[in-house]
Amino acid sequence: MEYVLSQLINGICQGMIYALMAIGYSVIAGVTGMVSFCYGDLMTMGAFAAFYMFEFAGSNIVLGVISSFIACWLLGIIIYKLCYEKFLNAPRHITMICTFAFGIGMRNLAQILFGEARKPVLNVVGNRAIILGKSIRITMLQITIIVTVIILAILLSWFLNKTKWGLSLRAISQDKTASYVVGINAKRYSLIGSCLGSSLGGVAGLLLAVYYQTVYVTMGNALSMKSFSATVLGGLTDVPLSALGGLCIGVIENLGITLTDSSFRDLFTFSFLMLILLIRPQGFASKKGARP
Amino acid sequence: MKEKFALKDFVKKHSSIAILLAIVIVAVLPLIFKTSQTRILCRILMYVTLAGSLNLINGYSGQTCLGQAGFFAVGAYTTAILITRFHISFWPLLLLSGIMAALIGVLIALPILRMKGIYLSMVTLGASEIIRTIALNWQSVTGGAFGIKNITRPQIFGLTIDTPQKFAWLFLIVACIFLFVSKRVLSSRIGRAWMAIREGELAAASLGVEVAKYKILNFAYGAFWAGIAGSIYAPYLRYIDSSAFTLDEGFNILSMIVIGGQGTLAGPIVGAVVVNLLTEALRAISNWRYVVYAGLLIFMMWKRPRGLVGENSQVTMVTGEKSIKKNRRKGAVK
Repeated sequence: MEYVLSQLINGICQGMIYALMAIGYSVIAGVTGMVSFCYGDLMTMGAFAAFYMFEFAGSNIVLGVISSFIACWLLGIIIYKLCYEKFLNAPRHITMICTFAFGIGMRNLAQILFGEARKPVLNVVGNRAIILGKSIRITMLQITIIVTVIILAILLSWFLNKTKWGLSLRAISQDKTASYVVGINAKRYSLIGSCLGSSLGGVAGLLLAVYYQTVYVTMGNALSMKSFSATVLGGLTDVPLSALGGLCIGVIENLGITLTDSSFRDLFTFSFLMLILLIRPQGFASKKGARP
Repeated sequence: MKEKFALKDFVKKHSSIAILLAIVIVAVLPLIFKTSQTRILCRILMYVTLAGSLNLINGYSGQTCLGQAGFFAVGAYTTAILITRFHISFWPLLLLSGIMAALIGVLIALPILRMKGIYLSMVTLGASEIIRTIALNWQSVTGGAFGIKNITRPQIFGLTIDTPQKFAWLFLIVACIFLFVSKRVLSSRIGRAWMAIREGELAAASLGVEVAKYKILNFAYGAFWAGIAGSIYAPYLRYIDSSAFTLDEGFNILSMIVIGGQGTLAGPIVGAVVVNLLTEALRAISNWRYVVYAGLLIFMMWKRPRGLVGENSQVTMVTGEKSIKKNRRKGAVK
């Protein structure tokens, strides 16, 4: 029982990171109406940006978050220009191939530039822990991660709901043509949305690197699929529900591996996803067949 | 330039002779090639079947399936397990692997009947990943991370198919059968039903096409050929493990049909040739090859989003305007 409880805490912590990835992904999917398969590699890039920031200026998590945010914002511009802008009205598989290709390119370029070795990310947050029971404990690291995600989520929801940019983003994620009509520059806001989503992904990458205390080039491979499935669970364009989807996947994964060994991790993710989609083809979203 | 047009006219006029000629040329190639070149030919011919089978799902009935690597894995593992455990002859297994993959295809097709677009892709992708995870972790049956070694080579009339040369012929024969059967199927009621579903599901249903039945049939048929390709792949390499069936492999297959041109029979052939030759040619620059490959892939999407064989018309909005202008200049659009 204690083991299950401590796994639950781990699950919530990891689920928070997944939630952040899913939020970013759903922003991209919402404003562009397309899927992205280079998201995992983007997260790796965010983690690397933060890693070099830590090397350069000392382990400060705020600095790390800022650096990976900016790095991924810039990458987001490139991705948008290369993979999305021209194909916004084209069949979806073209963007799929483009983002997939960009992902391979980025991963291999990173391999050349940063090397294949795993790099340690240590002592970013103190190692203290709050002990709740015999084997149940929450580390400062976990608390930091949860707090960071919550702060970012609050900032994002303020941004989307209270500012003019956010309003425009929500408008084009509902209907591009209609937002053209009311005078919103859909291309510009697609760019902003895609960059914003990428940046959030980069921060999630940083948090994962801090959580596992290492950063390496191929860490994003499985994450692309996980953020995709979390977003699909949440109905693809709905930001809060995607976060819920991410949280669910994190918890299910960590509870699942209490039953068997950890190599079955991905099996639980995808089985859970397929089960939910079987019952509700639109995911958690209430509206049936909202978009794509 | 003049010669090229003459060739085109010849192909159009005597298509059956041209196809026969092409088959004979490809069949002679293994005799001339070195072993390393024959191996590349084997890969190309295998991917003709594999990419073609995905093309039947993606290109003809318009369902974006991303999990072809999963069906491929089912075929390969079925053959590998049964051949090493029970020493069954290869030829019935060839068919059995196809049928197994088709069954899995039906199993995947059933839940996605209600889904569309990205959700559908997600489920096929998840299914492929589930198959791979099972193959990786079910140690007692699939050998886990160690894979299955020493898969017996197939025999026919006392002749063992062991060299890449002979495998190239086997792959060629299977690819030819695949293309021939698919051509017949596509021009039958079934194929027309698939295309009707692609153009508009509602319209197809209202014209009396049983959408659910044909979608399931489509998945089963596509998966069947992927299974057969996998079934030959296992004894060809003599060793399989789950790392050959990752999602990247699935995307590799997808990129072939997109580069070649979806919804045409010739598209996957061109795609398989181009992608495999490209990856071989780029081997020279070792580390940078995937970077260059990625760049070329994006470049290709910018220039020919419909693929090399597909119609030249652009599908994108930005260039769409341009191409209309171009056509107007030619006098095609009034």
